[in-house]
Amino acid sequence: MKRKNWVRLDNASNIFLASMTDFDTKVFRLSATMEEAIDPILLQLALDKNFEAYPLYHSVLRRGVFWYYLEESDLKPQVLLDEQPPCSQLYHFDRKELLFRVVYYQNRIHLEVFHALSDGTGAMWFFEDLLSEYVLLQNDFISAETNKESSQSERAIEGAHTDSFIHHFRHKGQRTYAEAAQSSIRKLTGASKTAGKFALEYGKKAMRYEMTNQENKKKRKKVYQIKGKRTIDNRTHVVELNMSVQPVLKLAHEQNASLTIYLTALFIEAIQKTNPVVEDGMTIAVSVPVNLRKFYDSTSARNFFSTTHLEYTYEPSEETNLAVICKTLKEQLQQQLSPNSLETRLNKLIAYEFNPITRVIFRPVKDGILKVINYFNNRGLTFAMSNLGSVQLPQSIDDKVHQFYFQTSAVRPQFCVISHQDYLSICLNSPFVETTLYKQFVRDLTALGVPITISANRIDGLELRGEEE
Amino acid sequence: MRYCQECKVSVNGDWLNCPLCHQPLEKVSEIPTPNPYPDIPLRFNKQQVLRILTSISIATISISLIIELFFLNSTRGLNIISFGIVSMWLVVLIIIRKRRNIAKSIVYLIISLSLLSIYWDYVEGWSAWSTTHAVPMICIFALIAMYIAVRLVKVEVEDYILYLLCAALIGLIPAVFLFFDWVTNPLPAWLSIGLSTVMLIVNFIFYRAEVLRELKKRMMV
Repeated sequence: MKRKNWVRLDNASNIFLASMTDFDTKVFRLSATMEEAIDPILLQLALDKNFEAYPLYHSVLRRGVFWYYLEESDLKPQVLLDEQPPCSQLYHFDRKELLFRVVYYQNRIHLEVFHALSDGTGAMWFFEDLLSEYVLLQNDFISAETNKESSQSERAIEGAHTDSFIHHFRHKGQRTYAEAAQSSIRKLTGASKTAGKFALEYGKKAMRYEMTNQENKKKRKKVYQIKGKRTIDNRTHVVELNMSVQPVLKLAHEQNASLTIYLTALFIEAIQKTNPVVEDGMTIAVSVPVNLRKFYDSTSARNFFSTTHLEYTYEPSEETNLAVICKTLKEQLQQQLSPNSLETRLNKLIAYEFNPITRVIFRPVKDGILKVINYFNNRGLTFAMSNLGSVQLPQSIDDKVHQFYFQTSAVRPQFCVISHQDYLSICLNSPFVETTLYKQFVRDLTALGVPITISANRIDGLELRGEEE
Repeated sequence: MRYCQECKVSVNGDWLNCPLCHQPLEKVSEIPTPNPYPDIPLRFNKQQVLRILTSISIATISISLIIELFFLNSTRGLNIISFGIVSMWLVVLIIIRKRRNIAKSIVYLIISLSLLSIYWDYVEGWSAWSTTHAVPMICIFALIAMYIAVRLVKVEVEDYILYLLCAALIGLIPAVFLFFDWVTNPLPAWLSIGLSTVMLIVNFIFYRAEVLRELKKRMMV
């Protein structure tokens, strides 16, 4: 019998398991539109090939007494038609199943990943390679159909094939399961037991620092919470906006802000407009994840991000406009992205992972503690946004893939941004039925002269039966 | 393609009203643009089922309460009915929650049903029927059931071995009942101890490596 490799799940990923609920499945979805309708057979072939190169994606999640752990499995992924609501649950307790799925519908390919396995950037690598593989197979298929007699041109195509193959598979190093499945933080520190001790010491200092920092900040802020009616069967409500990058980028630059900051500020304004109560001294707080690979040299496909907390308080006495909000957010972001505060944060994470006390606490208790922490985290947030940035594809497939989409399951209204070439897509996700906030956000954007095309999923029984008024 | 005059957006798919502001849409081109989000029917409604089960339980309890108090003038039967309902819920919840792991659900059932029967015996005025018959019998048949189940459903050794071990260890508990003389008839307890011992020895001989590996994995600190 073949022994199965396994590796303990790091603390950073544990929070996703603890905070997972029926409506917030902690699953995110990356989608790409191709030129033609998707061929499921080719997609399956591409997936099979790509799957081999990513040992991390072979994992199933199991529960131990003290920790969750990832275990290598023999399961094979199956390409499916998009027949479940976006970001449907991927991990069920006690069931051995892969932590990702590949689905297709019309000309779209979707990759859905459980967040405990990887983050957006890590999943994007898998997705890009899957798309490359699909395009290559498609080209092979077309050339085989049209150029059956000319063996010469076929060889030329084959040559191109092998070249780009090397180009795309940059993760050749991650052949072994244990390495691929290791926590990215441990990988970064090359952790040994001594590293753990060091980290603990640093972590303690960091925590003390953070504590005092928080105490200073504690001026009893009232963070605004968006409320609404949940969808009937807990599905995520999606409104997807398609637009051109340039006009939005121009608007952002006019405010001297990045796209992330600008859109966040716009969303804050939309919340304030739809909920007038915000005006008297309420704080709107937003969590924005940052990709740590940008700051630390790591090629880990595991979760490797940190979250920044941005907020804006509406003071009744002060006048506010978009420029003021942009400026405030920008300052906060810069402060939090300073090497010092990033280091602090990272040390804290390592300290948690190696802390002897957290190690001996039973897993269900740990889950409980994390649930409480998560609850208070949620209480301090109004919404969340995530920007995966601009996708750069290898030349050979760049013009075959049109647009990317990115969305996640949501515990509160949030939006996800991704762009490719001149296409920008913003997916508004929410567990609620109401669209007032979305409407305001979209109308604000169109009023600024940005042409937008929207798509949405149907969420209630009446809509599904086509009985709209 | 359709267009919303209020929101100034084009809308993909066959929407009649704007998905944002619910105002009627205007048709701008005859070429239909499909909605990239398929219409997915509503999923099973969990809350409704729970509501139904709860109301059945409450109705049963109240009806029996009325019968007991007004027609039989006693409350003894009420205990039996409430214990019955509690066991029903226990079994249903354990089976639903642990349905993907047969061996684990059997261990949970042994523990909960044993405790329930001991408590029941205690409430009824302790005649030691639970320690004499119920607990050993639950242990014996649970072990047999687990053995049959994992063979029938083809569960991998590593997935059930620890639970089988657990069940076998629980099967030794009737030894405590014997020691303190909490039994009226020693036979069921001895049967349970005997079967558990056999199971433990068999496990030790054939599956020692698996047990150790699983323990290491699950107990990893």
